[in-house]
Amino acid sequence: MSLRTTPFHPRTGPLSEGQAWRRWAGYVVASSYELSHDREYHAIRNSAALFDVSPLYKYLVTGRDAARLLDHVVTRNVGKAKVGQVLYTPWCDNEGKQIDDGTISVLGDQTYRMTSADPTLRWLHLNASGLDVKIQDVSESTAALSLQGPRSREILQLAAERDLSSLKYFRLTSAKIRGIPVTISRTGYTGDLGYEVWVDAAQAVPLWDAIAETGAPYGITPAGMLALDVARIEAGLLLIAVDYFSSRHALIESQKSSPLELGLGWTVATDKERYNGQAALAAEGKRGPAWQFTGLTVDWDSLEQLYADVGLPPRLPSQAWRTSVPIYDRGGHKQLGYATSGGWSPLLKRYMALAHLGSAHAEPGTEVRMEVTVEHRRRQAKAHVTALPFFNPERKRG
Amino acid sequence: MSYDALVIGAGANGLVTAHYLARAGKHVLVVEQRHAADPSADIGWVPDVVIRDLGLARAGLRIEQPDPWITVPLAGGRGGGGTLELSRDIGRSVEAIRHISPSDAAKWPEFCNRMRTLAGVLERLYLVPPPDIESTDARELARIAGLGLYVRRRGKQTVIDLARILPMSITELLDDWFESDVLKGLLGALGIWHLKQGPRAGGTAFNFLHHHAGSPAGVFRPPRSNVTQALSALPGVEVRHGERANVLAPNGRATGVVLEKSGEEILAPLVVSSADPRSTLQPVAIELDPEFGRAVDNIKARGVVARGTLTLESTPAYSTLCIAPSLDYLEHAYDDAKYGRDSATPYVEVQKTDGRLELHVQYVPYTDGAANVQRHQALQLRVAQVLGAQPSQVKLHSPDEEELQHGSTEGHLYHGELTLDQILFMRPVPGWSRYRTPIEGLYLCGSGTHPGGGIPGAAGRNAAREML
Amino acid sequence: MKQYDAIVIGGGHNGLVTAAYLARAGKSVLVLERRPRVGGAAVTEEIFPGFKFTMFSYVVSLLRPEIIRDLDLPRHGLHILPLESTVTPMENGDYLAGWADHDETRRELYRHSPRDAEAYDEYGRLMHFMAQAVKPILGMVPPDPTSFAPGDLAGLLKLGKHFRGLGAERLHALVKLMTMSSADFLDEWFETDVLKATKSASGIIGTFLGPRSPGTAYVLLHHYMGELDGVFRAWGFAKGGTGAVSEAIASAARSFGAEIRCDAGVSKVLVRTGRATGVVLENGDELPAGIVVSSLDPRRTFLQLLEPEHLPSHLVADIKRFKFRGSSGKVNLALDALPSFTCMPGVGRQHRGAISISPSLDYVERAYDDAKYGEFSRRPYMDIVFPSMIDPGMAPPGKHVMSIFVQYAPYNLNGGWTDAKREAFGDAVVNTVESFAPGFKSQILHRQVITPLDIERITGLSEGNIFAGELALHQLFFLRPAPGWAKFATPVRGFFQCGSGTHPGGGIMGASGRLAAMRILKDGK
Repeated sequence: MSLRTTPFHPRTGPLSEGQAWRRWAGYVVASSYELSHDREYHAIRNSAALFDVSPLYKYLVTGRDAARLLDHVVTRNVGKAKVGQVLYTPWCDNEGKQIDDGTISVLGDQTYRMTSADPTLRWLHLNASGLDVKIQDVSESTAALSLQGPRSREILQLAAERDLSSLKYFRLTSAKIRGIPVTISRTGYTGDLGYEVWVDAAQAVPLWDAIAETGAPYGITPAGMLALDVARIEAGLLLIAVDYFSSRHALIESQKSSPLELGLGWTVATDKERYNGQAALAAEGKRGPAWQFTGLTVDWDSLEQLYADVGLPPRLPSQAWRTSVPIYDRGGHKQLGYATSGGWSPLLKRYMALAHLGSAHAEPGTEVRMEVTVEHRRRQAKAHVTALPFFNPERKRG
Repeated sequence: MSYDALVIGAGANGLVTAHYLARAGKHVLVVEQRHAADPSADIGWVPDVVIRDLGLARAGLRIEQPDPWITVPLAGGRGGGGTLELSRDIGRSVEAIRHISPSDAAKWPEFCNRMRTLAGVLERLYLVPPPDIESTDARELARIAGLGLYVRRRGKQTVIDLARILPMSITELLDDWFESDVLKGLLGALGIWHLKQGPRAGGTAFNFLHHHAGSPAGVFRPPRSNVTQALSALPGVEVRHGERANVLAPNGRATGVVLEKSGEEILAPLVVSSADPRSTLQPVAIELDPEFGRAVDNIKARGVVARGTLTLESTPAYSTLCIAPSLDYLEHAYDDAKYGRDSATPYVEVQKTDGRLELHVQYVPYTDGAANVQRHQALQLRVAQVLGAQPSQVKLHSPDEEELQHGSTEGHLYHGELTLDQILFMRPVPGWSRYRTPIEGLYLCGSGTHPGGGIPGAAGRNAAREML
Repeated sequence: MKQYDAIVIGGGHNGLVTAAYLARAGKSVLVLERRPRVGGAAVTEEIFPGFKFTMFSYVVSLLRPEIIRDLDLPRHGLHILPLESTVTPMENGDYLAGWADHDETRRELYRHSPRDAEAYDEYGRLMHFMAQAVKPILGMVPPDPTSFAPGDLAGLLKLGKHFRGLGAERLHALVKLMTMSSADFLDEWFETDVLKATKSASGIIGTFLGPRSPGTAYVLLHHYMGELDGVFRAWGFAKGGTGAVSEAIASAARSFGAEIRCDAGVSKVLVRTGRATGVVLENGDELPAGIVVSSLDPRRTFLQLLEPEHLPSHLVADIKRFKFRGSSGKVNLALDALPSFTCMPGVGRQHRGAISISPSLDYVERAYDDAKYGEFSRRPYMDIVFPSMIDPGMAPPGKHVMSIFVQYAPYNLNGGWTDAKREAFGDAVVNTVESFAPGFKSQILHRQVITPLDIERITGLSEGNIFAGELALHQLFFLRPAPGWAKFATPVRGFFQCGSGTHPGGGIMGASGRLAAMRILKDGK
């Protein structure tokens, strides 16, 4: 036996030049198709990058109490959302600690599609006691492509033969691409103009062909997870099991985070009935979260100096990293927090990181020190707290 | 009309809670789904303190502790081989046992004393809320230490007995002491009361002691009483019959109940349910932490007892007739239940109270509606055969009917089996043993809470004291 | 004649561990083993030329890592090979498999129940915590709750603090594990019957209980503890069989200066004025020693090696009451070829892991029903491994050995065990396997059937109980083997116990042997 491949594998498989694959939710997906992920990254910001995001967990929630169930589970107000709307939302346990985050698409009256990073079927069922609702795991039967970049709209308009300029940020519409029924949502994980296309798994390959062929003149580039990782850091987007731990996986209390500590305070509804974690989040909101999730920009001169001290030119990480790195105060002694993701932004030309900092030290502009290893020795580079996202182009919402 | 407190269920525990609340000056309404009071006897120890506090003696309370307390036909057929009768008087029982086993007779007094001491420890635990072992409160810790000290003062043997015997099976316990199948059968039967377990199951020794609580040394069947009737006769509490009520709890706070038939809402800041935890809480599941909901769903309440009546032409001489000729007989009866069948040879006990003959038949597993008329008739026939009676003289009420008519989950009379994982601070669900629920203003006071079924009024009193 | 500081009776793994620790601390130690080889129930024997059988105990998961480190067992030849999958053939021709890879296992479970696939992760996490919660208890000398001695009070207090430190959720889960049946405990998590059956099977191993009997959930945990330390993921198979584990410990003991004498059965412990002074061998020789340690089970330690007058009468009564009730047998086969299972035809990686014959809860429960009334299971629960697939040295090239752990085979069989009954039992086992792997019977070259009576006869374990006394709640911790005598000492001064019949007991764990040695060394100071 081997790992599962996604419905797009007949196309993505042959594209892989270096056989660089990684696991995602029990599937294999491309780390990068080309030997280096550079071109794939630049496609996101310059033309259009095509990602296979099929491994996402997807659930179809239908029935009279569908909204009630989702409202019981997630922190945002699902009942208020209109058909065609997509909500990004976290969900929590009863103590207000985050379990996962994902999206809820309002596909119709009493019909919702929820995506998650971890399997969520059991949790939904546990919450559905006594409710008139049907929960279907459509993870396998639904394939998904993500088309991200400044030219994604033009490509998709051509492919779907319709105007998408009226499809606003975090809205969805149904459409046909070469006769294949799809749902197009204006969503993504890059912080750029972009869309996700949801399709029945059986139609995955023709859909890929349609989009790839239509996009060829516009520089469409199949892209893998390495490129995506850089883009999502620029966009300041969280990654579960990297930037935070699901409270249901955490081994100890301190591994858990609340949405308020993860910069997701805006998703915590105050205008709906009881939901998991509501009371705890209200109390936390009142006293203020202990942690903040924020950006850091490493000071170039400081970094360069550290390398210069040992007689080397500055070295930058060639890929985004996802390890825990201690952050200290400007004196370099007291630990204020830790960074969980970081890397060089080829676009912004800066060394950025995502970090958890004690609330008292999370004000943008605050000077801190980040640990860097220079020639086998631990050093500290100067860095400044930076508001997220690092990159937020007009076209994302425009 | 406004009330200070609403109590769901006019059984012994519901009424006890209601009267304690009323005595504390609260205006209380009890809502009961049955149209009329249940005529059957209450089986179990009614704690003296409840009788005293509520003046039940004046309200016509009658407690029967029959003597001899059990009659068992001996091999050789009904009547043919004579009977074994055990009495309250230990000496008389010794004499009776001597006929079947001199060695068992010799051990009887010591056995009775050891069991009495252990039951005494349980009695002390039962009349107070269960120890909160997670508490950091100095008073609670002192209370737990006090309980520990109490046990240790009973002597080294008691400490060892508690640790050894509680997790044991009743078979192991009885095998340690006795050789006679008849004696072990009649004693062992008490160990499986209302459990979907056989006598070889760990924890049945505890169940045996649980049902010994409140009885004098040497008597291993709980007393019978009319305590629910007596409570119903007490003034001071309003009772509405024939109404099934569900808790109202918008936004996690109990505000009253809604009557199922009329949809009428009755409001009160305090709602207490003596119904079983699952049927009380499931309708308000949306207000609960799903993990708590899961714990409630996981309460084991697998009804296995059919209750009923026996109609004979003449009143028999015995007070309690027990058909459980050996531990293996009970184990075989359980084997059927394991695979979802009614026992081919069930354990049957006839209890005479006020001239009525009531039946306890085990095992008749809950089937969630799968049981049909044929199956019921077959059971009736078997029980009649076991008793040497006519099928028409046997009327039975299966766990399925119990659930259908009275709403107790899976027809379990105790609202949750008395297994070691469902007692003390684990009852009704771990961490919520203090009669509270995550819904503010909603309390539980039924058999599903500590100390559990078979002790009418104890949970009701403990719960009321917690609320007050 | 040489006067030893300590004589250890019995060269099973616990006896050897005690001897090794005592020798390591500078004591002169002699181990006396009745059989021609060390190992007790952890032996590898070449019963048929070229085929090496792990006679009794066949897998390793619990051996305490501190023992491996302290005695440097890898240097003495210990090599644990992974045994990571479990395949359960079902009666409808399907199967349930657990593989080493998490994603793969999840996908397999998902096939049976999407919800169970998710519950499995949470369940695994909980059991991990539970094992962690119990681990310190395995490593402590049980305090006596009936005693008012400062040491016991401090021990109880430490224990209380430990449990309270777990937090409510885990404490409750622990209470459930200690009291529930494995079937009920698993019911709270899963809906797939075959999954519950296979998991619960590890809760009945070595017990005279069925999956629906309370108390089995704890044994479930006992079998999870091996998964705790990264070194020993899940189950392992010792290269050379479990006998190699014994040999490694023996080699370590010798390296510290211990002497090991085989073919030297002990008949009595010499007691003078309430103090052990040495032992009498079965051949009548007397060997003096400063202290004597017995790794035999409690019945033989107290009732055979000592005279009743050396013991208080209540202790004699307690030990007589201590339950053994052996319930497991073993069938070892030499095979011409590997069997092909209907659910997963051919030869493949399924043969490198365990095959569990536990197709449904009712199947396992029925197997217990037979035993309850004194018969061996007509269709037994079986845990099968093919040691030669993991360690090719166990059989001639191209041939295989098959180790079948079988339950239930009651020690007290109706009418008693006879040669004919043993073969009938062997037939029941083989026929049951055949029903899941047609053609299997024709692949058998040699067969060895071991009943609990054989286990008792060969290893000396009373009633053939593989844990030297049932792992029931009322026989654990300060009650193992008897209240007041759970701290490895005995009423006879200088005479100690160190076998699996003492806390924590069971499995090739070695914890009892180590704790006993610690206790003895502390006493000597």
